[in-house]
Amino acid sequence: MKVQGHKHPMSQMITEINQIFARIGFEFAEGPERELIKFNFDLLNVPQDHPSRDMQDTFYLTSNPEVVMRTHTSPVQVRYMQSHTPPIKMICPGKVFRNEATDATHEAQFFQLEGLMVGADVSLGHMKGVLEYFFSEFFGGEVSVRFRPSFFPFVEPGVEVDMMIKKNDTNKLSGRWIEVMGAGMVHPSVLEGAGIDPEQYQGFAFGMGIDRLGVLKYGIDDIRLMYNGDLRFVNQF
Amino acid sequence: MKISYNWLQTFFATPLAPPQQLEDLLTFHSSEIEEVITVGNDTILDVKILPDKSAWLLSHRGVAKELSVITGVPLSRDVFTTSPELLPHTDLLQISLDTPYCDYYSAALVKGVVVGPSPAWLAHRLTAIGQRSINNVVDATNFVMFELGQPLHAFDADKLQNNDGQYQIHVRQAAAEEGITVLTGESYVLQASTMLITDGINNQPLAIAGIKGGMTALVDSATKNIILESAHFDRFNVRATSKQIKLRTDASARYENGIPSGLAPLSLPAVVKLITEIASGTLVGYASAGVIDYTRVPVSASLQKINSTLGVSLSLVDIEIILKKFGYAYEIAGDTITVTPPWERDDLVLEADVIEEIGRMYGMDKIVSVPPTPAPLSTFNARHAYAEKIRTTLLGLGFSEILTSSFRASDVVQIQNALASDKSYLRSTLHDNVREAILKNIPHRDLLGLTNIKLFEIGTVFTSETEVFRVGLGVQTGTSYKAKVDDTLLKEAQSALEVALGTAIDWLGTNDGVTEFSLDMLLLTLPPVSGYEAVVKVRPVTYEPFSLYPSVTRDVALWVPVSISTLEVETRLKDVAGDLCVMVTLFDTFTKEDRTSLGFRLVFQSKQKTLTASEVDERMTAVYNACNESGWEVR
Repeated sequence: MKVQGHKHPMSQMITEINQIFARIGFEFAEGPERELIKFNFDLLNVPQDHPSRDMQDTFYLTSNPEVVMRTHTSPVQVRYMQSHTPPIKMICPGKVFRNEATDATHEAQFFQLEGLMVGADVSLGHMKGVLEYFFSEFFGGEVSVRFRPSFFPFVEPGVEVDMMIKKNDTNKLSGRWIEVMGAGMVHPSVLEGAGIDPEQYQGFAFGMGIDRLGVLKYGIDDIRLMYNGDLRFVNQF
Repeated sequence: MKISYNWLQTFFATPLAPPQQLEDLLTFHSSEIEEVITVGNDTILDVKILPDKSAWLLSHRGVAKELSVITGVPLSRDVFTTSPELLPHTDLLQISLDTPYCDYYSAALVKGVVVGPSPAWLAHRLTAIGQRSINNVVDATNFVMFELGQPLHAFDADKLQNNDGQYQIHVRQAAAEEGITVLTGESYVLQASTMLITDGINNQPLAIAGIKGGMTALVDSATKNIILESAHFDRFNVRATSKQIKLRTDASARYENGIPSGLAPLSLPAVVKLITEIASGTLVGYASAGVIDYTRVPVSASLQKINSTLGVSLSLVDIEIILKKFGYAYEIAGDTITVTPPWERDDLVLEADVIEEIGRMYGMDKIVSVPPTPAPLSTFNARHAYAEKIRTTLLGLGFSEILTSSFRASDVVQIQNALASDKSYLRSTLHDNVREAILKNIPHRDLLGLTNIKLFEIGTVFTSETEVFRVGLGVQTGTSYKAKVDDTLLKEAQSALEVALGTAIDWLGTNDGVTEFSLDMLLLTLPPVSGYEAVVKVRPVTYEPFSLYPSVTRDVALWVPVSISTLEVETRLKDVAGDLCVMVTLFDTFTKEDRTSLGFRLVFQSKQKTLTASEVDERMTAVYNACNESGWEVR
């Protein structure tokens, strides 16, 4: 009897995310999980001894004070911009680490999706369009996106992004605003640090938890299930 | 920060919009509101103030100003627009700054205060925002801090030394190992990087600068004469000390976020005025040392850049309307707007900073989306593409994919600040994680309807210098690993992968039915990728929480006439076995003459409890009876 195995929902989501973004020309980029502080913080405009560095609790390594477990996929923005010239369209799904207590909605390791688009006149309007397209494809149905002012050191202006799936009776997520991620226009210092002239180019970046997308898409009630290797979880997908 | 609605109202001559509306206005133009709660006849908005706004928004005046800009209703009172005058001056306070971390220090001497309970209005203001009312003098300093954002401190003047009535405030760095006991009773041994407020006559520490007052000059019910401090301390120094001694206060939070120095001389007369009103006392005079930098460098932004960044189409007139609400000084030349930030805003430095201010006040919700256009990719991620190919191959052989922790109890690379002792190292192989997952899943084979557990993980492992993307896979059939059975299944998968990838794989050993290889190494020999596999449309899945109670397995073998379909039998068994039967699997079948033998495995499990043998036996009796009734012989 032939038994088909089950793909992990995280891989399934990453496959879908990549397919959706590939259609509009976004490249799948990667970077190291053990990252230099230079890329994880400094070049992302997160100064040493600044309260904004407390926004993400960080794992440090005993042997090397220069490196951390990356706290977000944003360092890949810098690495990618250093090796590419605009126009840039990039996504990076990857594992990230936070030194914080775990519960049903927090894990010390989880997956983020980074997105970056840089060009001569890329605006928050383009970001809104790209995100509406992505969420519509990913969740199925017509999705609207709205922005609220927020702060992340590597963007200016910075926004929180809410999405709403158009009301339909078969989808209990629909018809309400759901907070999904942080985003904004890439900070001029970040562009400059990555070798891109902020006078000539501008662009947007976003970062969201893929685990959170899984909670929304599949109704997963405890994200720790993603990482404990239990087939009673995986084999439902 | 907790913001009182009634307190905000005191900044406006006209009635504020209801709290629910303020919540929306602040959410879409300024800051997230974490909670809105009713306290007595007041409503408290818990405003989440992020580091970019903490220098000027951690106060009721700050939030009132935001609301004023959002709504266009001017503040009815605003001390920020006045010029500070610390008059009269007194020689009875001598201030000396002997540290690079304090650029301005002002103090006031007030004599003849009567320390006692605060008037009800003041106590209510503080308790409404979650503060404790202590006494009228201390409450006054806290009130002005939450009103204007400037930390203030009161010292009992009679607990300082004096020379003919003259006091000496000396701000200096701590000596190594110097100690202080603060107001909470905690004692600290300090490092030389700590800045102290000290009594210049006897050199005794009076406070940890910007963080907490000391016991020495505690204001208590017997206090008659006080020295009030309103100063500016270096944000990085205060932050470093606060982290080092693990003491974070409302004062230190404001300093470390870089409150402007101009706030200090404005706030001192405010607290003096309040204290002389509610605690009697007479102002003797003020003294100060250091200088305040009020200068701000003008910032320019072009109309084109504003519109192309935000994705809006504002006119110069639209922008002027917004700048006027802020009250910023500005000039317009051509399509360039040059803004001179007010003294309290040192965060407006770049064009992008100005664009953000205009954007959020105009409304981020008004941004119009530009839909993306289809565009072909020219570069493909080989690692992702080959990982997908590996997944497809292994899934086809019945392997399921897992993701496990990157942390281990013991390995090569150590984490300096691990969450737990069993998570102190980074994994250097996938072997142990895959093996542990197999052992964890083995007891659930029947429940999962599997004859063996086949797993794989694709993920990063770490050596001291490098990190590598590996593929690990493992198999186990019985309750323990058996090379003969399990290695055969594993080899089948290994060969299938080599066929699928069209190359030999450098396997990194096989132990206990688990093996792995480096995908990164293999990529060096694999051909480049020219596209991604078409995505298979998957059915929508809704996750169902599973029972954590143990399951019980029972087998039943039946002779049924060949005319009866397997499905018919299976349906009947499920029906009779009831809801507790969560899985029915056919594990054996053969036909002899006109009868078919069917072997079914039934798995029972409750979501509420551990099932007893008798509860399961009862269901099985029902199954046997039903079979007999149908004329199916139970073997």
